[in-house]
Amino acid sequence: MEEIKQEEIKQEEIKPKVLIVDDERGLRIGTKRILQSEGYIVDVAENGTEGIELGTKNDYDLAIIDLKMPDVDGIEVLKTIKKSRPNTICYIATAFASFDTAIEATKLGAQSYIPKPFTTEELLKHLETGFEKRLLILESERLRKEREERLLEIAYEKSRLNTIVNSIADGVIVVNKTGELVLFNPASLKFFELNEIIIGEKILGILPGEISDLIKKILETEKYENKSYSSQVELKPNRELFVDVTCSPVPHPDGSLAGVVIVINNITELKKLEHVKSQFVSMVAHELKAPMAAVMGFMNLILDDSMGIKPEQQKDYISRSTKRLQGLIEMVNDLLDISRMEIKKKEREIKELNIAEILKSNVDFLELELKKKGVTVTSNFEADLPPVKADNNEINRLYTNILSNALKYNKDNGTIDISVYKSGSFVVSKISDTGIGMKPAEKEKLFQEFFRVKNDQTRNIPGTGLGLAIVKRIVESYSGKIEVESEFGKGTTFIIKFPFKH
Amino acid sequence: MENLNKKILLVDDDLDLLEQNKMLLESKGYKVVTASNMKDAMDTFKKEKPDACVLDLIMEEHDAGFVLSHKIKRDEYGKTIPVFLLTSATYVTGMKFGASTSEEQEWIHADGWFDKPINIEQLTTKLEESFEEYKKK
Repeated sequence: MEEIKQEEIKQEEIKPKVLIVDDERGLRIGTKRILQSEGYIVDVAENGTEGIELGTKNDYDLAIIDLKMPDVDGIEVLKTIKKSRPNTICYIATAFASFDTAIEATKLGAQSYIPKPFTTEELLKHLETGFEKRLLILESERLRKEREERLLEIAYEKSRLNTIVNSIADGVIVVNKTGELVLFNPASLKFFELNEIIIGEKILGILPGEISDLIKKILETEKYENKSYSSQVELKPNRELFVDVTCSPVPHPDGSLAGVVIVINNITELKKLEHVKSQFVSMVAHELKAPMAAVMGFMNLILDDSMGIKPEQQKDYISRSTKRLQGLIEMVNDLLDISRMEIKKKEREIKELNIAEILKSNVDFLELELKKKGVTVTSNFEADLPPVKADNNEINRLYTNILSNALKYNKDNGTIDISVYKSGSFVVSKISDTGIGMKPAEKEKLFQEFFRVKNDQTRNIPGTGLGLAIVKRIVESYSGKIEVESEFGKGTTFIIKFPFKH
Repeated sequence: MENLNKKILLVDDDLDLLEQNKMLLESKGYKVVTASNMKDAMDTFKKEKPDACVLDLIMEEHDAGFVLSHKIKRDEYGKTIPVFLLTSATYVTGMKFGASTSEEQEWIHADGWFDKPINIEQLTTKLEESFEEYKKK
């Protein structure tokens, strides 16, 4: 609204808008004609009431108000118009001018006082001066408003920026060219366990040395160079708090160096993951190297003439080497499965599977080996089991691992009991063996990669130590659960639960 | 030869490697007693009073070799003999296959480390050097 009005005023610069309030008809019409011929836009009011009405409704540039009118006198009209339109330049016109009324009129905001009768020149001179003043008032008003708005905008921008910086989870610190603190957010205090730092304080000494060094690198160059420095800093030992710190120069508008912005990003979780991964790599390296060392040892013994290894012994070494190599291949296959599971989760073929059917076909597959060890299988499958949505290969792999363990670690002529039933929103499969069982401490580590129960009974049972780790990964990737019950020397039961959709 | 009647306690849970290393050491004229777990190792150590120990690092527990070395080196008799550790992963990859601090080194107190598979010439040289050193002590 305000803007539109200002536009109008500008366009009408050449045509000032004037209100004439006078009860004397002749003067009204005469003045109107004169002014119109001079390019003014003129409204007239024939009494005080009408004058007030028009003068308050419209924002006139100028108003000429007769002092003596029968209904409301000119002073009252002036007062009222000035109250609602303070920028309208008003003149009091009268034949009965007194010094007092003149003063009063000026006090109330009249521009000046025009004695009647007046000549055209006199009137125009007054109005021209008045109009100039009016324009100046409007212009200064506009500038004042503009400045106020801009200040408000800046204040708003500033508080908005502050709120944003304070909401960032990364720590943000800004220092100037001399290393004094310019800005910081609460997150940065948390990282360094500081209760407060003071704006203007020299903070290079307060920050950890590694971070100060990065900042110094930028400050010491003195010239602004668009080049950031980052470093990973362990703020608390044993990977408790690890951060990635990036220091970037901040330029002045003229291109010189203003200061440095330091962003601190918490990478503890990433570092923990990295550690787990490198531990896994170490384990893999060890587990691969042990059988290779054994094979190499056998070969060296055979090749070393001084050892005098007899042909039948050589054959034994070669067959034992073959066994170790076979184990190595199995381990590599398991490792490939693990990485495949991690990479290709999206390439699964999800189908409705009948867990009982899968178990049956797995038992059939093991038939020969079961017979060899004299192990009998009893099974109890609940009728009308709901299907489980999963990838057929993965679920088969899971039960193959569980069943081959139940066979491998069973005693001769033992049994394997399999039952599958519905419980709540889960399809539960329970596989029990009458094997060697586990001690509680061993049970705890059962699903760890490369963990194998090691005792005289298990020594000759081959295995990679990855089978159950794979099983657990599969079960959990379908939001399932796996539990183990075991008694040392008596047997082990695996309980696997898969959720199904009702 | 100096080592003719020296007795070595060899501990490894990998039976293939245990057998190979036993043969190699025997071919160099040592007497070898073996064990494949921590308990047997301690029992054999006490019973046989070997002249040196060569221990595999990773057995049932990942730090079994460290613990065994620590125990032997705190034993009145064990103090007087060299103890060596065997490992199949000597490089540091984030996992503790080696002593990373001097404190740990002190705790484990082994006289040396050997990578698997054993280079028998290196091992015998080191053994002989150690026997000489311990004799002086």
